[in-house]
Amino acid sequence: MPQGSNKIEFCSRCRARFTIKAGATPAVDENDGGLLCPTCASSSSPSVATPKARPVKRPRRKAQKAEIESQVPSLQDLCIQKIANCIEDVEGFGDISDLSMDKICRIISRNRSLNANTLQLFLDSRHSDLSLYDCTDINALGLQNIAQFCPSLRSLKLKFCGRIDDSVMDYYTSHLSQLTSLSLIGPILITEASYIKFFEAMGERFTRFELKHSARFSLKALKALCDNCPNLTHLRLGDCGQMDDEWMEPISNLTKLKSLRLRNPERDRVSTEKVVKLIQAVGSGLEELELKGFVEIEDPVLLDAIRPSCVRLERLNISGCEEFTTEAIQTLFKDWTVNRGLSYINLENCVMLKDEALMAITAHSATTLETLNIKGLDELTKDALLTITKCENLTMLDASWCRAMDDEVMEQLVKSASRLNKVVVWGDHRLTECCPSRKGMKIVGREGDFIDLRFM
Amino acid sequence: MASTTPTENEYVTLESSDGFQFIIHREAAMLSGTIRNMLSSAGQFTESTEGVIHFRDIKAVILEKVCKYWYYKARYLNSVTEIPHFEIEPEYALETLMVADFLDT
Repeated sequence: MPQGSNKIEFCSRCRARFTIKAGATPAVDENDGGLLCPTCASSSSPSVATPKARPVKRPRRKAQKAEIESQVPSLQDLCIQKIANCIEDVEGFGDISDLSMDKICRIISRNRSLNANTLQLFLDSRHSDLSLYDCTDINALGLQNIAQFCPSLRSLKLKFCGRIDDSVMDYYTSHLSQLTSLSLIGPILITEASYIKFFEAMGERFTRFELKHSARFSLKALKALCDNCPNLTHLRLGDCGQMDDEWMEPISNLTKLKSLRLRNPERDRVSTEKVVKLIQAVGSGLEELELKGFVEIEDPVLLDAIRPSCVRLERLNISGCEEFTTEAIQTLFKDWTVNRGLSYINLENCVMLKDEALMAITAHSATTLETLNIKGLDELTKDALLTITKCENLTMLDASWCRAMDDEVMEQLVKSASRLNKVVVWGDHRLTECCPSRKGMKIVGREGDFIDLRFM
Repeated sequence: MASTTPTENEYVTLESSDGFQFIIHREAAMLSGTIRNMLSSAGQFTESTEGVIHFRDIKAVILEKVCKYWYYKARYLNSVTEIPHFEIEPEYALETLMVADFLDT
């Protein structure tokens, strides 16, 4: 072997091939005398072993510290505990306003302390509205108690209600005789038959229904809803695994709909034609339309359905509809005189859209627009963003990942939109820390706020 | 006085909606996430320069309770002895909860 050339060997421990640099002496296994690759050698040599032990120690020390700190419970926890302990004196809290009651419910839900005990606080026979934001820890009996203690409920909203089952649903059906609005997020146990019974009992008084994350809600249940409850004004169906083309037809019989929100169907289940037919049927009454995450639907929805039908529309959410083209959006909003202007537009992640689309929107809805979401439209240039300044009533703008957003655009916005109070700018790297703002205006996600100036 | 000698900086003043002032240790007040952000933000806010914070929505009874809690927490934060129970009057528990949520405590 010539001097100065590298040598290839196999490690005696891990059998990996490795290179011995010219002139270097490879490590030798103490047990069998074979050669060792650098990885195995470093793991067995004691000098390298110390830094390896360190990372094990550090988290342990941190964990210990965290343990000590957590010994002093937070004031929120203390209050919730106290409230839970005194739950029997619940009459004493009677004169608290519904608004603060709801606020307390949100806090308790956020702390994940809503359980059968704390639930009692929110049950009162006088209540007509009840929203529980985290029902994970309430068992079926607790959920049934809601109907028992609040028989005059008109509106009920249950989030994360995975433990609600058929028997509870049947109990609601028979006991909540004034209910007009129901919202269930994540009811995984309720079956088709139970839904059908419920809708039959609700009948004409039922006006709002929201259902999210349910794989069991079926076409049959939907048909029961649409046949029995013709006065439905608000319908929201999201992440329902069985949603497909056939769902569109029953929904189109609900002619009194004011708000329709459909969200995230499974891929290739809902076609453009069916959506067009649905909107043509119910569009004339709609004030709000959401088609979120309908990845496959195409331009005809905008041109043949929304433009001619949705005369009263005020809120439009087509986030995640990736197939919509700039030309279609342009045609939809150009001279759309039958519609008086939208107050809410969400175009999040409609990635094909370019300048002309946004310009058409700001020309059409300049005076009415209050909330605009153009997150992820990174094809937009400064020219288009500057047209947003025409919207003088804008209160909220999400322009995250619109790379052309810079200090100048922001300055124009601050000047023109006097009611603008929130701007979201994640990933807009041209905004500097000196970007203009004003009192009462919140700029979320500005890069300069997170990079420490000392390292620049 | 706007001059910042360390002794002056040691305390902050919290004012309740009904005009009571609570002058407490800066370190104790910093146990609240909200107050920490108010006092240590990079911008020159009046709160951080003058060390006086007005709470227009918090009554004195509740603010006093919260101040007591901060001292309680500061006292027992790293102690190895047994921690006594922090008493909250049931009639104030709900209001205190809302304030504690606002102050991130």
